[in-house]
Amino acid sequence: MSSVYDSNLVLIQSALVAVLLALSIQVPLRLGVFSLAGVGSYGIGAYVSANLVLRYELGSIPTMALSALAAAAVSFLLGVVIYRLAGLYLAMATIAFDLTVAVVALNGGEWTGGPVGLFGVFTDLTMGLLFAVVALCLVAVHVTEIGRLARRVTTVREDPELAASVGINVRAYRLTAFVVSGLVGGLAGCLNTLTRSAVGLQDVSFHLVVLALTTVIVGGALSWRGAVIGSVLFTWLPTALAFVGDWQELVYGAIVVLAAIFLPTGLYGAWCSARRQFAVSFVGRRREAAVRARLHQGNVDKEVAAS
Amino acid sequence: MQELVATASLGSVYLLFALGLSAAWGTIGILNFAHGAIFVSASYACYELLAIQQLPVQVLAVIAVAVGALLSVVMQVLVFDQIRKRAKSERAAETRILIGGIGAAMIPVAIASHRTKNLAFGLQGSGFQASVWEFGGVRITSIQVVTVLCALGAATTLGWYLKRTRAGLALRSLGVDDQVAALMGIDRRRYAWATMAFAGGLAGLAGVLLTLNLGAISAESGDALLVKAFACVVLGGVGSTTGVVVGCMTLAASETWVLTQTSGMWVEAVSFGIIFVVLLLRPQGIFGRQEVRRV
Repeated sequence: MSSVYDSNLVLIQSALVAVLLALSIQVPLRLGVFSLAGVGSYGIGAYVSANLVLRYELGSIPTMALSALAAAAVSFLLGVVIYRLAGLYLAMATIAFDLTVAVVALNGGEWTGGPVGLFGVFTDLTMGLLFAVVALCLVAVHVTEIGRLARRVTTVREDPELAASVGINVRAYRLTAFVVSGLVGGLAGCLNTLTRSAVGLQDVSFHLVVLALTTVIVGGALSWRGAVIGSVLFTWLPTALAFVGDWQELVYGAIVVLAAIFLPTGLYGAWCSARRQFAVSFVGRRREAAVRARLHQGNVDKEVAAS
Repeated sequence: MQELVATASLGSVYLLFALGLSAAWGTIGILNFAHGAIFVSASYACYELLAIQQLPVQVLAVIAVAVGALLSVVMQVLVFDQIRKRAKSERAAETRILIGGIGAAMIPVAIASHRTKNLAFGLQGSGFQASVWEFGGVRITSIQVVTVLCALGAATTLGWYLKRTRAGLALRSLGVDDQVAALMGIDRRRYAWATMAFAGGLAGLAGVLLTLNLGAISAESGDALLVKAFACVVLGGVGSTTGVVVGCMTLAASETWVLTQTSGMWVEAVSFGIIFVVLLLRPQGIFGRQEVRRV
C-alpha cells in the first residue's frame, strides 16, 4: 500500500492541486458566473508564492495565506469591474484576464523569470498539510451545498431576477464568487509551486484554462464531488493513456466532445440520475410512488423557479 | 508607410478569420472555439498534399477553402447540432457548445502537431515565390495584395448578402430569435450548415494566405488567433459586418504600433486590453445594437 502511495506521490500531489484549480472554476459556475478567472488567480498565486519564498524566505503556511489573499484581491477588483457581464462575454473577458497574467509573467523580468521561470522554491510543506488544506477547502465548499445556502446559490444561478425579487443580494453573491475563485485558485497555484519547487509559463496558459474547464465539465459542475472525480480522472488519464503514445491529445479531445454532448451534468450528475432511475425501477410500488411524488415536487419547484 | 502596409495585410488576415466567427455567432448563435483549429488544419492539409504532389498556389487556396468548409460542417453536424438537440435551455447549450468546440479543436490540432513533430510547417513545396514591388521605399508583396483583396471582397459580399437578400434576412432573423424564425418557416439546420461552411471556407483561405505570408505557421497558432478574432468581433459589435472590418483594422493597427514602439513581447496583450476596455465601456461594440431582454 505504502509503496503504491510513494510511487504515485507526484500524481497524488497533482490531483490535489487540480481539485483546487477545478473548484476555482466550479464555484463561480455554480453561482451562474461563467468566469474562467481562476486560472489567472492560479498564475498569480504561483508567482507570488515563489517570490515570497525566494525573497523573504517565508514558511509554507504564511506563503499560502499571502498568495491566496493576493490572488483574491486581484480577482475581487476584476469582479468589481466585470461582474455585470454574462455568458460568453464574461467567459472571454476572464480568458483575456488569464492571458494578460501570462503576458505579465513573460515580461516580468526578475520577478517572474520571464520565459525561464523561477526555480528552487523549497519550503517545509508536508503531504499532511497539503491534504489538510485541500480537505478544508472541500468542507468549506460542501457547506455551500447543503441547506438554505444551497437553495440560495441555486436560485442565484438559475434565475437571478427571481433571486433579487425574494431579497437575495445577487451582486454580493456574484462578487463573492470572484473572491472565492481567487482565493482557491491562488491557493492552488501556490501549492503547485511549493510541490514542484518551480514555476514557469506553463502555470498560466490557455491550455490550463482548457484543462480546468474540462475537468469541471466532465466531472460535474454542480457539486465538489464532480470536481474531485474530474481531477482524479484527468490526472491519471495521461498515465492510463500511455499505450496510445503520442495520440493522447486526440483521445482527450474526443472525451471532451463526448462529455459535452452526452453528459450535460458530468459524471457525477450522470451517477445521481442513474441512482434515481434505479430507485424508481427496482424499489416497491409504494416507495416508487413516494419517489415519483418527490421528483414531481422537484420539477414543480424548478418550474416555479423558471417561470 | 511600411507600417500601413503591415497593418492592412495583418488586419486582412484577422478579417478573413473573424468574419466567419462573427457570422456564425451573430446569426446561428454558435461561438465556434474550433475556428482556429479549422484555420490550421486547412493549411496543414495543403502541406500534406504538397508532400505527395506539387500543386500551384491557386489550387491550394481552393483546396484549403474546401477543407475548411468541410471540417466546419462536420463539426456542426457531429458536435454542435447534437448539443443543441439535447440541451434544455439556450444558456446551457451556449456553455456546452463552447466546451464541445474546445474538445473538437484538440483533435485536428493533435493530428497536425503529431505529424509535424510540433515544428512550424510551410508551403514551400508549391515552389511559389511572391513577387515584391517597391513604391518609393515601401515594399509590398503580391501575397499581401491578394490577402487584402480577398478580405475586402469577402466582407463586402457578406455585408451585402446579410443586408440585401432574403436568405440574409432569414439568417439575421435566426440571430434575433430562432424560435420565431422557425415559425416563419426558416429551416435553421440548413442555414446553420451553410453558415458554418462559409465560415470554415474563409478560415481555410486565411490559413493558406497567412502561411504563405509568414513562410510557416505552427499547429498551435490557432488559439492565439481565436482570442484576437474575438477581440475584433467584440470591438466592432457581434453581427455587424462593418464592425468586424473596423475591429480587425483597429487591432492590427494597435498591434503594429505597439510592436514598433515597445521592446519585449507586450504585443500579445493588446487584444486582451481591447476586449476589457470594450466590454466595460460599450459591451455591444462600436456598431452593435443593445440587446433587449425581458425578465
